[in-house]
Amino acid sequence: MNKEHRRKIVDMVISGKDGHIPSAFSIIDIISVLYKNFLKFNAKNHMWEDRDYFILSKGHGCLALYVILKEHGFLTEHDLSMFCKPGGILGEHPDCTKVPGAEASTGSLGHGMPFAVGIALGLKIRNKSNRICVLVGDGECHEGTIWESANVANNLRLGNLCVIVDWNGSAAQLMPFDDLPAKWRAFGWQTTVVDGHSEEDLKVAFSKVQFNSHGAPTAIIARTIKGKGVPMLEGHGIWHHKIPNEQEYKIIMEALS
Amino acid sequence: MAPQDTQRTGIQNNHGGIILKLKKIRQQFADTMLEVGQKDPNLVVLIGDISHFVLQPFAKACPGRFYNIGICEPTIVSMAAGLAKTGFCPVVHTIAPFILERSFEQIKLDFCYQKLQGNLITVGSAFDYSNLGCTHHCYSDFALMKLLPNTQVVYPASCQEFNMLFKQTYNNTYLTLFRVPEQQHEQKIDPSLIQFGKAVKLSEGNNLTIVVTGPQLKNVMEAKNILSETGWDIEVIYVHTLLPLDLTLIRESVKKTKKVLVVEEHNRFGGLGDDILHGIYDIGEIQFQSIAIDTFVHDYGTYEHLCSSIGLSTEGIVKSVQNNFKNSNKGAYV
Repeated sequence: MNKEHRRKIVDMVISGKDGHIPSAFSIIDIISVLYKNFLKFNAKNHMWEDRDYFILSKGHGCLALYVILKEHGFLTEHDLSMFCKPGGILGEHPDCTKVPGAEASTGSLGHGMPFAVGIALGLKIRNKSNRICVLVGDGECHEGTIWESANVANNLRLGNLCVIVDWNGSAAQLMPFDDLPAKWRAFGWQTTVVDGHSEEDLKVAFSKVQFNSHGAPTAIIARTIKGKGVPMLEGHGIWHHKIPNEQEYKIIMEALS
Repeated sequence: MAPQDTQRTGIQNNHGGIILKLKKIRQQFADTMLEVGQKDPNLVVLIGDISHFVLQPFAKACPGRFYNIGICEPTIVSMAAGLAKTGFCPVVHTIAPFILERSFEQIKLDFCYQKLQGNLITVGSAFDYSNLGCTHHCYSDFALMKLLPNTQVVYPASCQEFNMLFKQTYNNTYLTLFRVPEQQHEQKIDPSLIQFGKAVKLSEGNNLTIVVTGPQLKNVMEAKNILSETGWDIEVIYVHTLLPLDLTLIRESVKKTKKVLVVEEHNRFGGLGDDILHGIYDIGEIQFQSIAIDTFVHDYGTYEHLCSSIGLSTEGIVKSVQNNFKNSNKGAYV
Protein backbone atom coordinates (compact mmCIF):
# COMPACT_ATOMS: atom_id res chain seq x y z
CA MET A 1 0.00 0.00 0.00
CA ASN A 2 1.10 3.55 -0.75
CA LYS A 3 4.25 2.55 -2.63
CA GLU A 4 4.09 5.70 -4.70
CA HIS A 5 3.90 7.86 -1.56
CA ARG A 6 6.81 5.97 -0.07
CA ARG A 7 8.90 6.53 -3.20
CA LYS A 8 8.08 10.22 -3.05
CA ILE A 9 9.18 10.35 0.59
CA VAL A 10 12.53 8.79 -0.31
CA ASP A 11 13.02 11.21 -3.21
CA MET A 12 12.31 14.15 -0.90
CA VAL A 13 14.87 12.88 1.59
CA ILE A 14 17.49 12.45 -1.15
CA SER A 15 16.71 15.92 -2.49
CA GLY A 16 16.56 17.63 0.88
CA LYS A 17 19.53 15.62 2.24
CA ASP A 18 17.65 15.06 5.51
CA GLY A 19 14.57 13.42 6.97
CA HIS A 20 13.16 10.44 8.88
CA ILE A 21 12.17 7.78 6.35
CA PRO A 22 11.25 4.84 8.64
CA SER A 23 9.05 6.99 10.89
CA ALA A 24 7.15 8.28 7.86
CA PHE A 25 6.75 4.76 6.44
CA SER A 26 5.37 3.67 9.80
CA ILE A 27 2.40 6.06 9.60
CA ILE A 28 1.84 6.74 5.90
CA ASP A 29 -0.91 4.12 5.57
CA ILE A 30 -2.77 5.53 8.58
CA ILE A 31 -2.67 9.12 7.34
CA SER A 32 -3.58 8.05 3.83
CA VAL A 33 -6.77 6.33 5.01
CA LEU A 34 -7.68 9.23 7.29
CA TYR A 35 -7.55 11.79 4.50
CA LYS A 36 -8.97 9.53 1.79
CA ASN A 37 -11.88 8.12 3.74
CA PHE A 38 -12.70 10.10 6.86
CA LEU A 39 -11.55 13.65 7.40
CA LYS A 40 -13.60 16.59 6.19
CA PHE A 41 -11.39 19.35 4.80
CA ASN A 42 -11.18 22.07 2.19
CA ALA A 43 -7.74 22.37 0.66
CA LYS A 44 -8.62 25.75 -0.85
CA ASN A 45 -9.71 27.06 2.53
CA HIS A 46 -7.69 25.10 5.04
CA MET A 47 -9.03 27.17 7.96
CA TRP A 48 -12.62 26.21 7.07
CA GLU A 49 -14.38 26.18 10.40
CA ASP A 50 -16.30 22.97 9.83
CA ARG A 51 -13.18 20.96 9.00
CA ASP A 52 -12.00 17.96 10.95
CA TYR A 53 -8.66 18.34 12.68
CA PHE A 54 -5.65 16.09 12.24
CA ILE A 55 -2.69 16.72 14.53
CA LEU A 56 0.56 14.88 13.90
CA SER A 57 1.97 14.83 17.40
CA LYS A 58 5.02 12.77 16.38
CA GLY A 59 6.21 15.56 14.14
CA HIS A 60 9.28 13.74 12.81
CA GLY A 61 6.95 11.56 10.75
CA CYS A 62 5.86 14.64 8.78
CA LEU A 63 7.07 13.44 5.37
CA ALA A 64 4.06 11.15 5.40
CA LEU A 65 1.79 14.11 6.15
CA TYR A 66 3.37 16.23 3.43
CA VAL A 67 2.84 13.74 0.62
CA ILE A 68 -0.77 13.24 1.68
CA LEU A 69 -1.36 17.00 1.89
CA LYS A 70 0.07 17.23 -1.63
CA GLU A 71 -2.21 14.42 -2.81
CA HIS A 72 -5.25 16.33 -1.57
CA GLY A 73 -4.28 19.74 -2.91
CA PHE A 74 -2.92 21.56 0.16
CA LEU A 75 0.63 21.50 -1.18
CA THR A 76 2.20 21.59 -4.62
CA GLU A 77 4.89 19.49 -6.24
CA HIS A 78 7.13 22.54 -5.95
CA ASP A 79 6.51 22.65 -2.18
CA LEU A 80 7.67 19.02 -1.91
CA SER A 81 10.72 19.70 -4.04
CA MET A 82 11.79 22.40 -1.59
CA PHE A 83 11.84 20.05 1.43
CA CYS A 84 14.53 21.21 3.85
CA LYS A 85 15.73 23.87 1.43
CA PRO A 86 16.04 27.60 2.12
CA GLY A 87 12.87 29.38 1.11
CA GLY A 88 10.77 26.21 1.24
CA ILE A 89 7.88 25.77 3.63
CA LEU A 90 8.52 22.13 4.53
CA GLY A 91 11.06 21.08 7.13
CA GLU A 92 11.78 17.99 9.18
CA HIS A 93 9.07 18.98 11.60
CA PRO A 94 5.86 20.70 10.47
CA ASP A 95 5.45 24.43 11.07
CA CYS A 96 1.76 25.34 11.09
CA THR A 97 2.56 28.99 10.42
CA LYS A 98 3.87 27.87 7.01
CA VAL A 99 2.20 24.62 5.99
CA PRO A 100 -1.46 24.85 4.91
CA GLY A 101 -3.26 21.92 6.49
CA ALA A 102 -0.78 21.39 9.32
CA GLU A 103 -2.85 22.18 12.40
CA ALA A 104 0.03 22.25 14.87
CA SER A 105 3.74 22.90 14.94
CA THR A 106 5.12 19.70 16.40
CA GLY A 107 8.46 18.03 16.83
CA SER A 108 9.07 18.12 20.52
CA LEU A 109 7.14 15.06 21.66
CA GLY A 110 4.15 15.19 23.98
CA HIS A 111 2.76 18.51 22.73
CA GLY A 112 0.30 17.56 19.99
CA MET A 113 -1.79 15.43 22.30
CA PRO A 114 -2.70 18.04 24.97
CA PHE A 115 -3.04 20.63 22.20
CA ALA A 116 -5.57 18.34 20.50
CA VAL A 117 -7.37 17.90 23.83
CA GLY A 118 -7.72 21.70 23.98
CA ILE A 119 -9.12 21.81 20.45
CA ALA A 120 -11.55 19.01 21.29
CA LEU A 121 -12.69 20.89 24.38
CA GLY A 122 -13.08 24.13 22.43
CA LEU A 123 -15.25 22.49 19.79
CA LYS A 124 -17.29 20.72 22.46
CA ILE A 125 -17.93 24.03 24.24
CA ARG A 126 -19.13 25.47 20.93
CA ASN A 127 -21.31 22.40 20.45
CA LYS A 128 -19.72 21.68 17.11
CA SER A 129 -19.40 18.28 15.48
CA ASN A 130 -15.89 18.58 14.04
CA ARG A 131 -13.81 15.44 14.63
CA ILE A 132 -10.32 15.63 16.10
CA CYS A 133 -7.71 12.98 15.36
CA VAL A 134 -4.23 13.04 16.84
CA LEU A 135 -1.45 10.63 15.97
CA VAL A 136 1.12 9.88 18.66
CA GLY A 137 4.02 7.45 18.71
CA ASP A 138 4.44 4.65 21.23
CA GLY A 139 7.88 6.08 22.04
CA GLU A 140 6.15 9.41 22.53
CA CYS A 141 3.99 7.71 25.14
CA HIS A 142 6.97 7.94 27.48
CA GLU A 143 6.10 11.64 27.82
CA GLY A 144 4.07 12.50 30.89
CA THR A 145 1.83 14.94 29.03
CA ILE A 146 0.41 12.03 27.00
CA TRP A 147 -1.01 10.47 30.14
CA GLU A 148 -1.93 13.75 31.81
CA SER A 149 -4.00 14.68 28.80
CA ALA A 150 -5.38 11.16 28.34
CA ASN A 151 -6.75 11.43 31.86
CA VAL A 152 -8.14 14.93 31.26
CA ALA A 153 -9.76 13.97 27.93
CA ASN A 154 -11.64 11.09 29.51
CA ASN A 155 -12.72 13.13 32.51
CA LEU A 156 -14.02 15.88 30.23
CA ARG A 157 -15.76 13.19 28.14
CA LEU A 158 -14.17 14.35 24.92
CA GLY A 159 -15.80 11.75 22.71
CA ASN A 160 -15.02 13.95 19.70
CA LEU A 161 -11.36 13.00 20.07
CA CYS A 162 -9.60 9.98 18.59
CA VAL A 163 -5.99 9.14 19.27
CA ILE A 164 -4.13 6.88 16.90
CA VAL A 165 -1.07 5.34 18.53
CA ASP A 166 1.64 4.35 16.08
CA TRP A 167 2.70 1.18 17.92
CA ASN A 168 5.87 0.42 16.00
CA GLY A 169 7.83 -0.79 18.98
CA SER A 170 10.03 2.25 19.45
CA ALA A 171 9.21 2.26 23.15
CA ALA A 172 10.37 -1.35 23.38
CA GLN A 173 13.93 -0.17 22.76
CA LEU A 174 13.95 1.44 26.20
CA MET A 175 10.83 0.84 28.28
CA PRO A 176 8.45 -1.62 26.62
CA PHE A 177 4.70 -1.06 26.60
CA ASP A 178 3.59 -4.68 26.33
CA ASP A 179 0.20 -3.65 27.64
CA LEU A 180 -0.24 -0.43 25.67
CA PRO A 181 -3.96 -1.00 24.89
CA ALA A 182 -4.58 -1.85 28.54
CA LYS A 183 -2.92 1.38 29.59
CA TRP A 184 -5.28 3.45 27.41
CA ARG A 185 -8.23 1.44 28.69
CA ALA A 186 -7.07 2.10 32.24
CA PHE A 187 -7.31 5.80 31.49
CA GLY A 188 -10.93 5.31 30.49
CA TRP A 189 -10.55 5.29 26.73
CA GLN A 190 -12.43 3.10 24.28
CA THR A 191 -9.61 1.11 22.76
CA THR A 192 -9.13 -1.02 19.69
CA VAL A 193 -6.05 -2.65 18.18
CA VAL A 194 -5.60 -2.75 14.41
CA ASP A 195 -3.02 -3.53 11.76
CA GLY A 196 -1.76 -0.04 10.96
CA HIS A 197 -0.73 -1.06 7.47
CA SER A 198 -4.07 -2.60 6.48
CA GLU A 199 -6.39 -0.22 4.67
CA GLU A 200 -9.35 -2.42 5.47
CA ASP A 201 -8.53 -2.70 9.16
CA LEU A 202 -8.04 1.04 9.44
CA LYS A 203 -11.29 1.81 7.61
CA VAL A 204 -13.23 -0.49 9.91
CA ALA A 205 -11.59 1.00 13.00
CA PHE A 206 -12.23 4.60 11.97
CA SER A 207 -15.79 3.86 10.93
CA LYS A 208 -16.51 2.52 14.41
CA VAL A 209 -15.34 5.65 16.22
CA GLN A 210 -18.45 7.37 17.48
CA PHE A 211 -17.08 10.91 17.62
CA ASN A 212 -19.83 12.02 19.98
CA SER A 213 -19.74 14.97 22.32
CA HIS A 214 -20.34 13.16 25.59
CA GLY A 215 -18.72 9.72 25.66
CA ALA A 216 -15.23 8.44 26.25
CA PRO A 217 -12.58 9.31 23.69
CA THR A 218 -11.23 6.56 21.45
CA ALA A 219 -7.71 5.20 21.12
CA ILE A 220 -6.87 3.21 18.00
CA ILE A 221 -3.70 1.32 18.74
CA ALA A 222 -2.19 0.65 15.33
CA ARG A 223 0.39 -2.10 15.12
CA THR A 224 2.96 -0.88 12.65
CA ILE A 225 6.47 -1.58 11.46
CA LYS A 226 8.97 1.22 11.40
CA GLY A 227 10.27 1.48 7.81
CA LYS A 228 7.44 -0.77 6.58
CA GLY A 229 7.67 -1.59 2.88
CA VAL A 230 11.43 -1.83 2.49
CA PRO A 231 13.07 -4.75 4.33
CA MET A 232 16.38 -2.89 4.60
CA LEU A 233 14.69 -0.01 6.46
CA GLU A 234 12.46 -2.03 8.76
CA GLY A 235 13.15 -2.07 12.47
CA HIS A 236 15.06 0.18 14.79
CA GLY A 237 18.60 0.30 13.47
CA ILE A 238 20.64 3.04 11.89
CA TRP A 239 17.97 4.13 9.45
CA HIS A 240 15.99 6.30 11.87
CA HIS A 241 17.66 9.45 10.55
CA LYS A 242 19.93 8.25 7.73
CA ILE A 243 20.09 9.39 4.13
CA PRO A 244 20.43 6.58 1.56
CA ASN A 245 23.48 6.57 -0.69
CA GLU A 246 23.17 5.81 -4.40
CA GLN A 247 23.31 2.04 -4.01
CA GLU A 248 20.91 2.03 -1.07
CA TYR A 249 18.54 4.26 -3.01
CA LYS A 250 18.38 1.65 -5.79
CA ILE A 251 17.63 -1.11 -3.27
CA ILE A 252 14.86 0.96 -1.72
CA MET A 253 13.28 1.87 -5.02
CA GLU A 254 13.39 -1.74 -6.22
CA ALA A 255 11.57 -2.80 -3.07
CA LEU A 256 8.96 -0.12 -3.73
CA SER A 257 8.54 -0.87 -7.43
CA MET B 1 -19.20 45.52 46.88
CA ALA B 2 -18.29 46.67 43.41
CA PRO B 3 -15.34 44.93 41.77
CA GLN B 4 -13.42 48.17 41.46
CA ASP B 5 -13.39 48.80 45.21
CA THR B 6 -9.94 48.12 46.54
CA GLN B 7 -10.32 48.98 50.19
CA ARG B 8 -12.88 46.93 52.02
CA THR B 9 -12.59 47.55 55.73
CA GLY B 10 -10.45 49.23 58.31
CA ILE B 11 -9.53 46.95 61.23
CA GLN B 12 -7.69 47.49 64.47
CA ASN B 13 -4.21 46.01 64.67
CA ASN B 14 -2.51 44.76 67.85
CA HIS B 15 -0.88 48.10 68.51
CA GLY B 16 -4.11 50.03 68.45
CA GLY B 17 -3.55 51.60 65.05
CA ILE B 18 -5.79 51.24 62.07
CA ILE B 19 -4.53 49.14 59.22
CA LEU B 20 -6.34 48.80 55.98
CA LYS B 21 -7.49 45.38 54.98
CA LEU B 22 -7.24 45.37 51.24
CA LYS B 23 -9.23 43.28 48.88
CA LYS B 24 -6.88 40.56 47.64
CA ILE B 25 -5.81 40.85 44.03
CA ARG B 26 -6.74 37.20 43.64
CA GLN B 27 -10.31 38.16 44.56
CA GLN B 28 -10.10 40.97 42.04
CA PHE B 29 -8.98 38.42 39.45
CA ALA B 30 -12.11 36.40 40.16
CA ASP B 31 -14.32 39.51 40.04
CA THR B 32 -12.78 40.62 36.77
CA MET B 33 -13.23 37.18 35.22
CA LEU B 34 -16.89 37.32 36.21
CA GLU B 35 -17.38 40.76 34.71
CA VAL B 36 -15.47 40.12 31.48
CA GLY B 37 -16.75 36.57 31.11
CA GLN B 38 -20.37 37.71 31.14
CA LYS B 39 -19.66 40.05 28.26
CA ASP B 40 -17.24 37.94 26.25
CA PRO B 41 -18.35 34.37 25.44
CA ASN B 42 -14.82 33.54 24.31
CA LEU B 43 -13.27 33.79 27.77
CA VAL B 44 -12.44 30.34 29.17
CA VAL B 45 -10.68 29.79 32.50
CA LEU B 46 -8.52 26.73 33.20
CA ILE B 47 -7.07 26.30 36.68
CA GLY B 48 -4.63 23.90 38.28
CA ASP B 49 -6.69 23.17 41.39
CA ILE B 50 -6.20 26.56 42.99
CA SER B 51 -8.55 29.53 43.51
CA HIS B 52 -11.54 27.33 42.64
CA PHE B 53 -13.57 28.77 45.47
CA VAL B 54 -13.22 32.40 44.46
CA LEU B 55 -13.93 31.53 40.83
CA GLN B 56 -17.28 29.88 41.56
CA PRO B 57 -19.28 33.01 40.60
CA PHE B 58 -17.56 32.94 37.20
CA ALA B 59 -18.22 29.21 36.89
CA LYS B 60 -21.92 29.71 37.66
CA ALA B 61 -22.37 32.76 35.43
CA CYS B 62 -20.39 31.28 32.53
CA PRO B 63 -21.32 27.59 32.37
CA GLY B 64 -19.05 25.43 30.27
CA ARG B 65 -16.21 27.92 30.43
CA PHE B 66 -14.56 27.02 33.73
CA TYR B 67 -12.38 23.93 34.16
CA ASN B 68 -10.43 22.81 37.17
CA ILE B 69 -8.11 20.53 35.24
CA GLY B 70 -6.03 19.37 38.20
CA ILE B 71 -2.33 19.00 38.85
CA CYS B 72 -0.96 18.72 35.33
CA GLU B 73 0.31 22.17 34.42
CA PRO B 74 2.09 21.43 31.12
CA THR B 75 -1.08 19.84 29.81
CA ILE B 76 -3.19 22.78 31.00
CA VAL B 77 -0.96 25.20 29.09
CA SER B 78 -1.07 23.12 25.89
CA MET B 79 -4.83 22.65 26.22
CA ALA B 80 -5.24 26.40 26.53
CA ALA B 81 -3.32 26.80 23.28
CA GLY B 82 -5.68 24.30 21.68
CA LEU B 83 -8.63 26.35 22.94
CA ALA B 84 -7.06 29.45 21.41
CA LYS B 85 -6.75 27.53 18.14
CA THR B 86 -10.54 27.22 18.10
CA GLY B 87 -11.03 30.95 18.71
CA PHE B 88 -11.33 31.11 22.48
CA CYS B 89 -9.40 33.49 24.70
CA PRO B 90 -8.01 31.19 27.40
CA VAL B 91 -6.90 32.09 30.90
CA VAL B 92 -4.55 29.68 32.68
CA HIS B 93 -4.28 30.18 36.40
CA THR B 94 -2.15 28.45 38.99
CA ILE B 95 1.02 28.86 41.07
CA ALA B 96 3.70 30.83 39.23
CA PRO B 97 6.62 28.37 38.94
CA PHE B 98 4.36 25.62 37.65
CA ILE B 99 2.97 27.73 34.82
CA LEU B 100 6.18 29.47 33.88
CA GLU B 101 9.08 27.21 34.69
CA ARG B 102 7.64 23.71 34.60
CA SER B 103 5.59 24.42 31.48
CA PHE B 104 7.99 26.70 29.67
CA GLU B 105 8.31 24.58 26.54
CA GLN B 106 4.53 24.36 26.28
CA ILE B 107 4.38 28.16 26.39
CA LYS B 108 7.20 28.45 23.86
CA LEU B 109 5.93 25.95 21.30
CA ASP B 110 2.19 25.71 21.69
CA PHE B 111 1.45 29.41 22.19
CA CYS B 112 4.34 31.48 20.89
CA TYR B 113 5.61 29.37 17.97
CA GLN B 114 2.03 29.12 16.75
CA LYS B 115 1.21 32.78 17.44
CA LEU B 116 -1.82 32.06 19.61
CA GLN B 117 -3.38 34.41 22.12
CA GLY B 118 -3.97 33.75 25.80
CA ASN B 119 -3.36 34.80 29.37
CA LEU B 120 -1.26 33.25 32.11
CA ILE B 121 -2.38 34.56 35.48
CA THR B 122 -0.13 33.44 38.29
CA VAL B 123 -0.31 33.48 42.03
CA GLY B 124 2.70 33.33 44.27
CA SER B 125 5.03 35.91 42.83
CA ALA B 126 8.64 35.94 44.05
CA PHE B 127 8.48 35.15 47.82
CA ASP B 128 4.70 35.16 48.39
CA TYR B 129 4.87 31.50 49.42
CA SER B 130 7.71 32.38 51.76
CA ASN B 131 7.62 29.32 54.00
CA LEU B 132 7.21 26.83 51.17
CA GLY B 133 10.76 27.38 50.01
CA CYS B 134 12.40 27.45 46.61
CA THR B 135 9.97 25.03 45.01
CA HIS B 136 7.25 27.64 45.32
CA HIS B 137 9.28 30.82 44.80
CA CYS B 138 9.24 32.32 41.33
CA TYR B 139 11.54 35.19 40.39
CA SER B 140 12.62 34.30 36.85
CA ASP B 141 9.22 34.75 35.23
CA PHE B 142 9.74 38.14 33.57
CA ALA B 143 12.93 36.89 31.98
CA LEU B 144 11.41 33.67 30.69
CA MET B 145 8.41 35.35 29.12
CA LYS B 146 10.48 38.15 27.63
CA LEU B 147 12.64 35.58 25.85
CA LEU B 148 9.69 34.56 23.72
CA PRO B 149 8.09 36.41 20.81
CA ASN B 150 4.41 37.40 20.84
CA THR B 151 4.37 37.90 24.61
CA GLN B 152 3.49 40.65 27.06
CA VAL B 153 4.32 40.91 30.77
CA VAL B 154 2.13 42.75 33.27
CA TYR B 155 2.75 43.04 37.03
CA PRO B 156 -0.33 44.63 38.59
CA ALA B 157 0.33 45.34 42.25
CA SER B 158 -3.14 46.68 43.01
CA CYS B 159 -6.67 45.49 42.34
CA GLN B 160 -7.34 48.54 40.23
CA GLU B 161 -4.37 47.78 38.00
CA PHE B 162 -5.30 44.14 37.53
CA ASN B 163 -8.86 45.04 36.62
CA MET B 164 -7.94 47.79 34.19
CA LEU B 165 -4.91 46.18 32.55
CA PHE B 166 -6.63 42.83 32.05
CA LYS B 167 -9.54 44.49 30.30
CA GLN B 168 -7.17 46.50 28.15
CA THR B 169 -5.08 43.56 26.93
CA TYR B 170 -6.57 40.13 27.47
CA ASN B 171 -7.69 39.51 23.89
CA ASN B 172 -5.19 41.50 21.85
CA THR B 173 -3.68 38.42 20.11
CA TYR B 174 -0.65 38.18 22.40
CA LEU B 175 0.16 35.73 25.18
CA THR B 176 0.14 37.86 28.31
CA LEU B 177 1.64 36.99 31.68
CA PHE B 178 -0.06 38.67 34.62
CA ARG B 179 2.18 38.24 37.66
CA VAL B 180 -0.33 38.58 40.48
CA PRO B 181 1.27 39.32 43.87
CA GLU B 182 -0.29 38.75 47.26
CA GLN B 183 0.97 42.15 48.45
CA GLN B 184 -0.10 45.53 47.12
CA HIS B 185 1.77 48.79 46.85
CA GLU B 186 -1.09 50.68 48.58
CA GLN B 187 -0.51 53.86 46.57
CA LYS B 188 -3.33 55.81 45.00
CA ILE B 189 -2.78 56.14 41.29
CA ASP B 190 -4.98 58.22 39.01
CA PRO B 191 -6.88 55.68 36.86
CA SER B 192 -6.23 57.78 33.78
CA LEU B 193 -2.52 56.97 34.21
CA ILE B 194 -3.04 53.21 34.24
CA GLN B 195 -2.55 52.39 30.61
CA PHE B 196 -1.05 49.20 29.29
CA GLY B 197 2.52 49.80 28.13
CA LYS B 198 2.88 53.12 29.96
CA ALA B 199 4.98 53.72 33.03
CA VAL B 200 3.69 56.08 35.72
CA LYS B 201 5.66 58.99 37.13
CA LEU B 202 4.67 59.26 40.79
CA SER B 203 6.97 62.07 41.86
CA GLU B 204 9.05 64.70 40.14
CA GLY B 205 12.71 64.92 41.10
CA ASN B 206 16.05 66.15 39.87
CA ASN B 207 18.93 64.18 41.29
CA LEU B 208 17.91 60.50 41.35
CA THR B 209 15.50 58.27 39.43
CA ILE B 210 14.09 55.22 41.15
CA VAL B 211 12.30 52.81 38.82
CA VAL B 212 10.25 50.23 40.67
CA THR B 213 7.83 47.47 39.82
CA GLY B 214 5.37 45.55 41.98
CA PRO B 215 4.54 45.99 45.66
CA GLN B 216 8.03 47.32 46.40
CA LEU B 217 6.59 50.68 45.33
CA LYS B 218 5.35 51.01 48.91
CA ASN B 219 8.91 50.76 50.27
CA VAL B 220 10.25 53.04 47.58
CA MET B 221 7.78 55.80 48.50
CA GLU B 222 8.69 55.48 52.17
CA ALA B 223 12.40 55.53 51.32
CA LYS B 224 11.89 58.57 49.13
CA ASN B 225 10.35 60.46 52.04
CA ILE B 226 13.24 59.54 54.34
CA LEU B 227 15.85 60.45 51.75
CA SER B 228 14.19 63.76 50.94
CA GLU B 229 15.02 64.90 54.47
CA THR B 230 18.69 64.74 53.51
CA GLY B 231 18.32 66.59 50.27
CA TRP B 232 17.58 63.83 47.82
CA ASP B 233 15.14 64.98 45.18
CA ILE B 234 13.86 61.73 43.77
CA GLU B 235 11.81 60.99 40.68
CA VAL B 236 9.85 57.76 41.17
CA ILE B 237 8.72 55.86 38.10
CA TYR B 238 6.41 52.93 38.63
CA VAL B 239 6.27 50.18 36.01
CA HIS B 240 3.26 47.85 35.79
CA THR B 241 3.96 46.75 32.21
CA LEU B 242 7.34 45.07 31.88
CA LEU B 243 6.85 44.14 28.23
CA PRO B 244 6.46 46.33 26.26
CA LEU B 245 8.48 48.61 28.52
CA ASP B 246 7.91 52.36 28.45
CA LEU B 247 11.52 53.42 27.95
CA THR B 248 10.54 56.91 26.82
CA LEU B 249 9.52 58.04 30.28
CA ILE B 250 12.49 56.32 31.90
CA ARG B 251 15.01 57.82 29.45
CA GLU B 252 13.60 61.33 29.96
CA SER B 253 14.06 60.98 33.68
CA VAL B 254 17.55 59.46 33.52
CA LYS B 255 18.75 62.14 31.11
CA LYS B 256 17.78 64.64 33.77
CA THR B 257 19.04 62.92 36.92
CA LYS B 258 21.94 60.81 35.51
CA LYS B 259 21.41 58.40 38.37
CA VAL B 260 19.04 55.46 38.45
CA LEU B 261 18.17 52.78 40.99
CA VAL B 262 15.94 49.89 39.92
CA VAL B 263 13.98 47.96 42.57
CA GLU B 264 12.40 44.64 41.66
CA GLU B 265 11.47 41.27 43.17
CA HIS B 266 13.10 39.43 40.28
CA ASN B 267 16.36 37.87 39.27
CA ARG B 268 18.92 40.55 38.49
CA PHE B 269 19.43 38.95 35.08
CA GLY B 270 16.62 39.39 32.61
CA GLY B 271 14.53 41.59 34.84
CA LEU B 272 13.51 45.23 34.70
CA GLY B 273 17.02 46.43 35.53
CA ASP B 274 18.58 44.65 32.56
CA ASP B 275 16.02 46.14 30.19
CA ILE B 276 16.62 49.62 31.55
CA LEU B 277 20.40 49.23 31.20
CA HIS B 278 19.96 48.23 27.58
CA GLY B 279 17.58 51.11 27.06
CA ILE B 280 19.74 53.90 28.50
CA TYR B 281 23.33 52.84 27.77
CA ASP B 282 23.75 55.50 25.10
CA ILE B 283 22.86 58.42 27.38
CA GLY B 284 26.34 58.41 28.93
CA GLU B 285 27.74 59.40 32.36
CA ILE B 286 25.08 57.45 34.22
CA GLN B 287 25.27 55.84 37.64
CA PHE B 288 23.22 52.64 37.74
CA GLN B 289 22.31 50.34 40.62
CA SER B 290 19.65 47.76 41.20
CA ILE B 291 18.20 45.87 44.12
CA ALA B 292 17.23 42.46 42.81
CA ILE B 293 17.69 38.74 43.48
CA ASP B 294 21.06 37.15 42.77
CA THR B 295 20.74 33.59 43.99
CA PHE B 296 18.39 31.01 45.45
CA VAL B 297 16.94 32.24 48.71
CA HIS B 298 16.81 29.22 51.02
CA ASP B 299 15.55 30.99 54.13
CA TYR B 300 12.03 30.75 55.58
CA GLY B 301 9.88 33.29 57.36
CA THR B 302 7.57 36.03 56.19
CA TYR B 303 7.47 37.58 52.75
CA GLU B 304 8.80 40.79 54.27
CA HIS B 305 11.67 38.90 55.94
CA LEU B 306 12.79 37.24 52.71
CA CYS B 307 12.53 40.50 50.78
CA SER B 308 14.42 42.52 53.35
CA SER B 309 17.18 39.87 53.53
CA ILE B 310 18.22 40.92 50.05
CA GLY B 311 17.61 44.64 50.48
CA LEU B 312 14.04 44.84 49.28
CA SER B 313 12.84 47.00 52.17
CA THR B 314 12.54 50.68 53.02
CA GLU B 315 15.82 50.52 54.91
CA GLY B 316 17.52 48.55 52.14
CA ILE B 317 16.50 51.11 49.56
CA VAL B 318 17.66 54.02 51.72
CA LYS B 319 21.02 52.32 52.31
CA SER B 320 21.46 51.47 48.65
CA VAL B 321 20.95 55.10 47.70
CA GLN B 322 23.26 56.38 50.43
CA ASN B 323 26.01 53.84 49.69
CA ASN B 324 25.96 53.85 45.93
CA PHE B 325 25.15 57.35 44.79
CA LYS B 326 26.85 60.63 45.45
CA ASN B 327 24.30 63.36 45.89
CA SER B 328 25.65 66.25 43.89
CA ASN B 329 22.61 68.43 44.51
CA LYS B 330 22.12 68.05 48.23
CA GLY B 331 21.78 71.76 48.74
CA ALA B 332 21.49 73.27 52.19
CA TYR B 333 20.18 70.19 53.94
CA VAL B 334 23.56 68.45 54.34
